[in-house]
Amino acid sequence: MNNLIQNEMMKLLAKKRLVIIGIIVGVLVLMFTYAQYKQVKEQQEKLGTDDWRAALQQQIIDTQNRLGSNRMLDEWREQLQVSLKQQQYYLDHDINPSEPGATTFTRMFLENAIDLFIPLLVMIVASDMVSFENSQGTIKLLLTRPVNRWKILMSKYVTLLLSVSIIVAMTALLSYFLSGLVFGYHGWEAPVITGFGLNGSDVDVSQVRIVEQWRFLLMDMGLVWLVAVVVGTLSFMLSVLVRSTPAGMGIMLAALISGAILNNMVSSWESAKYFFMVNLKLTTYVSGTAPPIEGMTLLSSVITLLVWWALALIVSFTVFTRRDVY
Amino acid sequence: MSKTKVLAVTVVSVVIGLFFLFCLGWAIIDYYGKKASDIGLNETNPIEKNLPEDFTVVALGDSLTRGTGDETGKGYVGLVVEDLESKYNSKPLIHNLGINGQVSQELVQQVKQTEVKRQLHTADVILITIGGNDLFQQGQTLFDYDLTATSELQENYLENLNTIFKEINNVNDKAAILLIGLYNPFIELDEDFDTNRIVRDWNNETAEVVALYKNAIFVPTFDLFQLSVNDYLYSDKFHPNKAGYRLIADRVAPLIQWEDEK
Repeated sequence: MNNLIQNEMMKLLAKKRLVIIGIIVGVLVLMFTYAQYKQVKEQQEKLGTDDWRAALQQQIIDTQNRLGSNRMLDEWREQLQVSLKQQQYYLDHDINPSEPGATTFTRMFLENAIDLFIPLLVMIVASDMVSFENSQGTIKLLLTRPVNRWKILMSKYVTLLLSVSIIVAMTALLSYFLSGLVFGYHGWEAPVITGFGLNGSDVDVSQVRIVEQWRFLLMDMGLVWLVAVVVGTLSFMLSVLVRSTPAGMGIMLAALISGAILNNMVSSWESAKYFFMVNLKLTTYVSGTAPPIEGMTLLSSVITLLVWWALALIVSFTVFTRRDVY
Repeated sequence: MSKTKVLAVTVVSVVIGLFFLFCLGWAIIDYYGKKASDIGLNETNPIEKNLPEDFTVVALGDSLTRGTGDETGKGYVGLVVEDLESKYNSKPLIHNLGINGQVSQELVQQVKQTEVKRQLHTADVILITIGGNDLFQQGQTLFDYDLTATSELQENYLENLNTIFKEINNVNDKAAILLIGLYNPFIELDEDFDTNRIVRDWNNETAEVVALYKNAIFVPTFDLFQLSVNDYLYSDKFHPNKAGYRLIADRVAPLIQWEDEK
């Protein structure tokens, strides 16, 4: 088993996929860093001060004005009201919700990347994990060895898990080190407020407490990792089921993108919460933004994702061990 | 690729993977095991943390402060700031806290907020437009014209206005407060001048309250819109258009004294 994993690992590293992913992340982080830098500068210009309280107050006023407009979908209004109350809470307690620095940037980047960007990166590795052996014909060489088929697939899956871990770690490290060039490497100790309880547009602050940002960041990374593993496992399953890699990738991509779209409009379609792609934004629970469908909780989302994960594994292993290869 | 290198990568990624698994467990346990808040949030009053010493204008109030109806989005506040800028060759700091549809009761709440207080504390000039939504309620008051209801509205409004001025004076009794009076957007719809009488009375009572505070000034706008109201109203026939805001700004800007104390 160990040798098999080593073998798979060798194949993975020889394909240089991880290097490509690193380059993609690097370029994107640089772009976002620059964009954010520009934004901060422009805002300072507009307000005439770099005082974050004045900036936050202005944001609150803008949100209040948007809420005043009567042509607005109810769910948007609700979300705006929630974020308004949270902003006001930050302001009232004199805490900067986005303390400048590389740590905040990394946290924001991960929170925004969790439902689409990280899954895409994972797909780059996962979607041809099995199917490329089909297309290159090497599957026969692999299967003629005197090893159980499930062991072969297991070694591939373990390799996938390992590379998913590398991808998440690499994304976090790259965004920390690259954005730090501009924003500085501080913000570890900055306070972050967590534990907002949501009930429709009401924000319950009785459970609220302050966490140092580094703890918050680590918790975020754990959640990002779970999402990456589940998405990786699903594309792994497709790579077993569908012999052509592009087809598998296409299916997965369609699912992910539909998830991003559904997130904005499913609030009235309640059973949509059993789709895995609606449950990807796990970090929103911790930071306290409203979930896309009322009644979704961190636990329900995690369980939904785990059920999908388990089903994908069962399907992959049954199909792979039973299939005729010719 | 050497075997040791592959082994190294494998070991490192196993460690990272286990670490993430730990983080995940931590996140979930922490999320559900949250203890009651012994958070030590600082409730301190941050008023003393100073904004820069520049000349500061704080604008409070309703859609007129926001600039609704002006397609350039400036409103009279933006125009006043522009005038000041060209007159004194230096940009004042402006905090525009206007909210569409705000009524006096909501403004009372707003001036009690810590951050708003802090900004008021550093202000040199405070501009206020309020009362329009109290009185007109989207035109409702004047269509079912009812004198007792209006006078009740007016009473509440004047009380709120008093509170607002007191709150402002508590944090800052040096800044000039300019309260912009109401104009009558319905003047042309009105044949027997009922609305004129109501608005005029409203303005008079407001001016009486303003007169109680020595740093406050009542700025009338009724006359500006009296003769050709439609030239100065936006297509909603309620808010001023760009020209209307220009009229208000021309009246407000000369009142502002920018002393060179620096």
